[in-house]
Parts: sequence; structure tokens; C-alpha cells
Amino acid sequence: MANIKEYTRNKEGSNISKIVVDRDLCIGAASCVAVSGETYELDSENKAVVTHADAADDATLMMSAESCPTKAIFLFDKEGKQVFPK
Amino acid sequence: MQQYKYLIIGGGVASITAAETLRQNDKDSRIGIVCDEPHLFYSRIMLSKPNFFFGKIPFEQIWLRKEEWYAQNKIELISGNLATKLDASAKNITLSNGQILQYEKLLLATGGEARSWSLPGVDKAGICYVRDLDQAKELIENVKTAKQAIAIGSGFVSFEMCEMMHLAGLEVTLIMRESYFWYPLLDIESAKMIETALQKGGVKILRENEVVEILGNERISGVILKDGTQVPCQLAIIGIGLVCNLNWVKEAGIEINKGILANEYLETNIPDIYTAGDVAEFNDLVLGEKIQLGNWVNAQMQGRAVAMNMLGEHKPFRMVSFYTCIGFGLNIAMSGDVKVNPARKIIKRGSSEINSFARIIIDTNDKIIGATFINRTQDMSPINKLIEFNFKVSGYESKLSDPNFDIKQLFPK
Repeated sequence: MANIKEYTRNKEGSNISKIVVDRDLCIGAASCVAVSGETYELDSENKAVVTHADAADDATLMMSAESCPTKAIFLFDKEGKQVFPK
Repeated sequence: MQQYKYLIIGGGVASITAAETLRQNDKDSRIGIVCDEPHLFYSRIMLSKPNFFFGKIPFEQIWLRKEEWYAQNKIELISGNLATKLDASAKNITLSNGQILQYEKLLLATGGEARSWSLPGVDKAGICYVRDLDQAKELIENVKTAKQAIAIGSGFVSFEMCEMMHLAGLEVTLIMRESYFWYPLLDIESAKMIETALQKGGVKILRENEVVEILGNERISGVILKDGTQVPCQLAIIGIGLVCNLNWVKEAGIEINKGILANEYLETNIPDIYTAGDVAEFNDLVLGEKIQLGNWVNAQMQGRAVAMNMLGEHKPFRMVSFYTCIGFGLNIAMSGDVKVNPARKIIKRGSSEINSFARIIIDTNDKIIGATFINRTQDMSPINKLIEFNFKVSGYESKLSDPNFDIKQLFPK
């Protein structure tokens, strides 16, 4: 079973309602942390975790997911549709 | 002659991020990317990861942009072509197929190549590098048939490759010139943690040694070392650094050193010519010196910054550089400037006994300038913030040296 972690987002005006990190895919490159340090950090296993799901705007969040070199970050909209990766 | 508003040489992460940023901010201008590899943009960082080698990460995952992405964003990819000549006064580039491309703004994001082993017989089968996709494919094939392997070098590539080969069931010997792993970037205590993990994983380590002769006919069958030791192997993975082929750039009048020299705006000495990524030797505002970094995140962030400057923003690139890697049950990271000299102070946080050890490096101005982390990557982001904040260490030494103290408590309120 995939080792995934889900983070609910309740940011006002945002179209993104869930951030998912696939910990098997994550290699701890921390490009997401570089793009949005207020959203992500690395944990003691060198995997990306979401610390503040509501911190960033949608464009920054999208950029953080796009920046991942292993496509380990998935974003979902309010209808539960995956908006990244497309 | 084809004319581009923005022409980018190189097809890696700095280039793609720059092209993407340019398109987001300039919907209509013509953008072209010239790339010597015959591939779409892929995840170079994934090439050295064991999960990729063993198919745990599906091969398809390596492609980071689909063909449609280039078309949708009106980014023209000229792949399988090398830039061979730059005429900075006429503002054009000549390609290996003879085509000449005109530019208004040029970005040189050409990256680097794996440094070749300089010994007779280096073209024998089984001598592999892991810098580009075709090299990684060749390596995957070689791993299938080899029983014994050697890894050359003591850095990230060797470390990750040792784990990959160990997981593949090969008998692995690591050969390095240095007296301990990652000398001089790590101290001996950190290095011992890594070497112990390698040895527990069955890797034999030969220090202060180097290969003087390659044995075998068409395929490598072994090596002879400086001290006369003979090591049988059917595979050698070479991880001894990066080189940039910059003759054509130099001939155009661009100042180079090991990389292409740039200021903090990632501008070269010639107007309208910029550089970013592994090839850029730029003025790092955080470290206060010109440095060249070979890492994914730096290249990506520079790609964005340089694009904004090509668009006319004129904002300096500023980032605490870092790198992480995982292997043999350890996670290793380095941030900022990790060089040690007698004037610099080091605060130790944790220890090898508790298998969790960081070193925080303090300069003569009482500021943190870098850190190394073994099994403490959770400390990396907070330490990087302290570096950005120019945090003054005096009075906080005992807190920083307590592995259970939450560094975030030191952030300015």
C-alpha cells in the first residue's frame, strides 16, 4: 500500500482543498521547501511534510508541486479532482 | 534565420524553470530551448536513486514535462543539438547542425558533464557514469551482469551508487583518495557514521588510494591500485565531480572560471547574456563569495530568478544553498558554507552515539554560515532560516547544542 500522507486545506478563496505527499516517491530533495518554506519542511526521515497547509496561495502551492523532481506532491480541488499532476 | 526573444541553451531544470517563468510573464514572445540530449525534460536527480534503478519508481515518472507542455506553452525545443558558437556582437548562436539562431536575451544553462576518469583504458565496457539518462540506462544494463563493482570518489554520487549496487546484490568496494568520506566537507565523526553505515551494508572501503591501471580487454575485469592491491570488478562507477565544456563560451568573450562567471543577478560580463544552474559560478550573497553549485534545487531557483531578470525585474538571487541525500539508513544534508578553518567555530548538536549529529558552523562575525546534518534533516530548514536572518549566536550556544531544543524558538518574533 502506498505510503501517503494527506493534508486538508481550508484556505479562504482557494481552489485547492487537499495536499497529498507520497512518501515512497519523496527523496527529500526539498525543492518544495525551497519554493514554499511556510508550507513544507523535511521530517526526521528526510521526507517532506506539510506544516501549514493554508499558508501559501494557490499559485505558490502549484509551483511547489511542479518543482518536485519525483512528482511526489498531489493537489486536489474541492470536488476531489486531482489538479496536479495533470 | 530564426529569431527568438528568449533563447535558452540547455534543457535541464534551470532552463525549463526559466522558460516556464518567462512564458508566465510574457505570453507572446518567442522562446526557444536548445538541448544536446535527444530527450524531453527529465528528472536528473532521480537517476542516482536506488528506487529508480529497481523500478520501485516507475520509469515513466522520470519525465517531468510532457511533449504537449512545450506546445501548449509555445516553447520550441531544438533537441539533439549542441550550441557550438556564440557571436555576442551579432547576437546569434550556431548549432552543431549549422543552423544559426538569433536572440535578444540569451540564457546559458548548459550544466556540466561527469568528470572523466583520466587513465588508459577508460573506454572499456563496464566503466559507467551517472550524469545523464543514457548513461543511467547503460549503468542499469551493467548492474544486471556484474558480480563485483567499484565506486570511485567520496561524495553524493558514490554514496548513492554504493547503496544501489549493494541492493542489487553486488560485492562493492569504494575507492577514494581522501583519508575519510567527504573530506574536507565533513568532520571525522560525521564521516565515521557514514563509513560505518557503508561497511555494515557490506561495502569495503579503501582510503587514501587510487586506481593506477584498468585491467581487462573490451570489458573491465579489475583494477590495480597505487599500493599494488588488485581489485577484481566488472563494473566501475565514477563519481569524481563535474566539468563544464566552456571553450565556445570563452571564445565569445564571456568570462569563465570553472563555470560561467556571473554577478548576483546571474548576468555575465556581456549584456543580455545570462547564466543559471550547475554551470553558473555566481556571486552568492549569503556566502559572500563566487561559487558554483551542482544541485537541483539551486538550479531550479536560479532558473526562476534569472527569468525574472531577463524580463527586466533586476532582483538579486539570494538563497541558502543546500543538498540532501539518503542511503544505508542515513539521511545526510549540507547547507550553506560548510568549509572549516581555524577562525570558524563549530557547535555540535547530537552525536554519533545517538546516531543523530549536526555541526553548525559559525563565522568570525558570530553568524551561522553553514551546517552539516546526519540523521537530522529536520533541523535543516530552521538552520537555513537562521542563516538568512543573520542570527547572532552568542549566548545561544548551549541551546543550539541541545539536540532536543526546538531551533524555531530562536526565530525573530
